[in-house]
Amino acid sequence: MPYKTRSVIGKILLLCWFLTAILVPPRDYCGTAYSQEDWRKEFNEICSKTEDTMTFSVEELRRLVDRCDALKPGIEKLEEPQRKVTLKRLQMCRDFYAFVLEMKEKK
Amino acid sequence: MTSNIHLVEGGCSGTREDFIGITAFRALGCGVGTIGGFMKKVFLGVVLVLAIAGMTLAETGVKKRRPLPFEYGRVVLNNYSEKAGLSPVVFNHWLHRAKFTCRLCHVDIAFAMKAGTTAIKASDNMRGYYCGTCHNGKMVFQGVRIFESCSKKFPPEDIKRCDRCHSLGKNVKPEYDFAKFTERFPKERFGNGIDWEKSEADGYIKPADFLEGVSIPRKSLSIQKDFALSPKVEGMPEIIFSHKKHTVWNGCELCHPEIFMGVKKGATKYSMVEIIEGKYCGVCHNTVAFPLLDCQRCHTKPVQS
Repeated sequence: MPYKTRSVIGKILLLCWFLTAILVPPRDYCGTAYSQEDWRKEFNEICSKTEDTMTFSVEELRRLVDRCDALKPGIEKLEEPQRKVTLKRLQMCRDFYAFVLEMKEKK
Repeated sequence: MTSNIHLVEGGCSGTREDFIGITAFRALGCGVGTIGGFMKKVFLGVVLVLAIAGMTLAETGVKKRRPLPFEYGRVVLNNYSEKAGLSPVVFNHWLHRAKFTCRLCHVDIAFAMKAGTTAIKASDNMRGYYCGTCHNGKMVFQGVRIFESCSKKFPPEDIKRCDRCHSLGKNVKPEYDFAKFTERFPKERFGNGIDWEKSEADGYIKPADFLEGVSIPRKSLSIQKDFALSPKVEGMPEIIFSHKKHTVWNGCELCHPEIFMGVKKGATKYSMVEIIEGKYCGVCHNTVAFPLLDCQRCHTKPVQS
């Protein structure tokens, strides 16, 4: 391959790398936490199930409690008053699932 | 007391304090001599005034005034109002419960069950949370635009809008008049004097249970069975707890486990004293829902012989 072609390809690759570095934020910056859409989707999915709680198995309830616990750190990063409101709502779901779980385990 | 007093024939000698002392002594029925009846009357008057003042100021032993129907369920919020130079907020439960379910406000909007513990700030309302969820000047509900609750800037003539909520001690004419609003509703004896459950069944009210963008879409609740609870007092009719009645407006997570934490039916023993103190059923049934005076509404099942 002629030197000129290699040079051009090298420059293009360098430019691509540069643009990638600028335009695509690092993974950590995106947050190990949830993005605005992700946490809301997860929150809605978890807390929409409270009406069916009595039909869930112990395993399913345990998973729901774990999902609530996993979501909590992400919600704690939100700004007030969204943080305060959502945390309270999440806590109510979590406590209710834990309550039914305990009830089912004691049966 | 008597050691400082020198009774002499035709009068008495001694200091002024001694004179007051002997007056008190006589007032107690032990007095002798010529001390006049005037001071006795003064002393008795003072004792009477102090006794009445003491009874009035005492926290216990004085009957609490029963709220009028339109006052029942009223909550006064003053976490920040007076500090900001505004009157405390007067929240009328009767109007809001006629339009929204308990769950909508206490689960979806996250108002705490105990008055004042949410500690709502004007800035929260401005950002569209708590009161500001609906009171944003944009939401239209049942054909009525809901007024904006708090805003950073408002024209001077708009101060009346603040008074609609910050109304304690002010003579504010409410937009909804209780008597007029409820005139056709089925009546009850206590609380608001309204049978709210029947009002819904008869179609006078239709409390909303879902707010777009706030509530989570849920399936309709499968109805749990009613159950009987045995009272502690012998001969008292049993309590029939209707899960159906409660879950329609409250959902599950409003009561469990925050209010009723026992996981096994009957495991948590609670007394009427605790309920009157505002625990368990008393969280709502002495504040917003029909009050505990209405015994027969819970103690409904005749005792099985």
